[in-house]
Amino acid sequence: MRIRELVPWRSHEHEKGQLSRRNEADPFINLQTEMSRLFASFFEGLGGSFGKDGDLSQLATPKVDVAETNDAVHVTAELPGIKEEDVEVTLADGNLVIRGEKKAEKEEKQKNYYRVERSYGSFRRSIPLPAEVDDQKVDASFKDGVLDIVLGKKQTSSSPAGKKIPVRRQD
Amino acid sequence: MNARPTDGHSTDGQNKNQQAQERAVYRPMVDILDTAGDVVLLADLPGVDESHLDLTLDKNVLTIRGAVQQPSLEGYMPVRMEYGIGDFERVFTISDDVDRDRIEATVKDGVLQLTLPKTAHSARRKINVVAR
Repeated sequence: MRIRELVPWRSHEHEKGQLSRRNEADPFINLQTEMSRLFASFFEGLGGSFGKDGDLSQLATPKVDVAETNDAVHVTAELPGIKEEDVEVTLADGNLVIRGEKKAEKEEKQKNYYRVERSYGSFRRSIPLPAEVDDQKVDASFKDGVLDIVLGKKQTSSSPAGKKIPVRRQD
Repeated sequence: MNARPTDGHSTDGQNKNQQAQERAVYRPMVDILDTAGDVVLLADLPGVDESHLDLTLDKNVLTIRGAVQQPSLEGYMPVRMEYGIGDFERVFTISDDVDRDRIEATVKDGVLQLTLPKTAHSARRKINVVAR
């Protein structure tokens, strides 16, 4: 075995000019993951149950793309290997929350891993939406490991500058 | 970013890719595990269905290539882009102990499962699959 193969962060990344899909490629997601891990281990040290919301040691934070038009917001998330019944999408306070669990295949007991790059475990992703949306006009579909959500924007009333609030004179 | 080698294969997916020269090519994340009779390779290929997946085995070189089918976002303004839309490609070297005639591939929920059975005489030997 060459010594290079023992060094994980040098293991043939960016070969052939290809881009890596690892979360580590994105410094911000990396920072978020590291912070989550730090908090999780801190609360574990306290012996409390704070960090029990999912197995943070194996974060499987999905990557998300958000795009919008005048009347809709389009959110796609990469969730390979997750079944639709293991995904939950909720809308709360202008945030779209995607949570779920990626379960490891457990059909065979006797196995050795040569290489583990994919991530497993629970995840929760809260995505701030760029506009107010109508919760009656949400359509979510799931195909080939990509979650596709279209949210209709709330149609503002005739005055686009904002709702006019009448001021009453108090006698 | 199109570092894809040109070979004799020409599928619908690839023709489309050649038209869209700006498409990026990504390296999918894989797990490789050794079970009693097989070596199993799992690759995350979100957005790829079975008709846009191209697996080739040339001697010891196994190439996985997937063309991502994404809904058209024409007319949309990007707000937050964490993953680029592009295709997947990764090359592996497999050893002679894999029974080439019995390799099976299935794709489900954006994950490719490739089962590489060991040949009878090599069932007890270690089989190398090297990610390149």
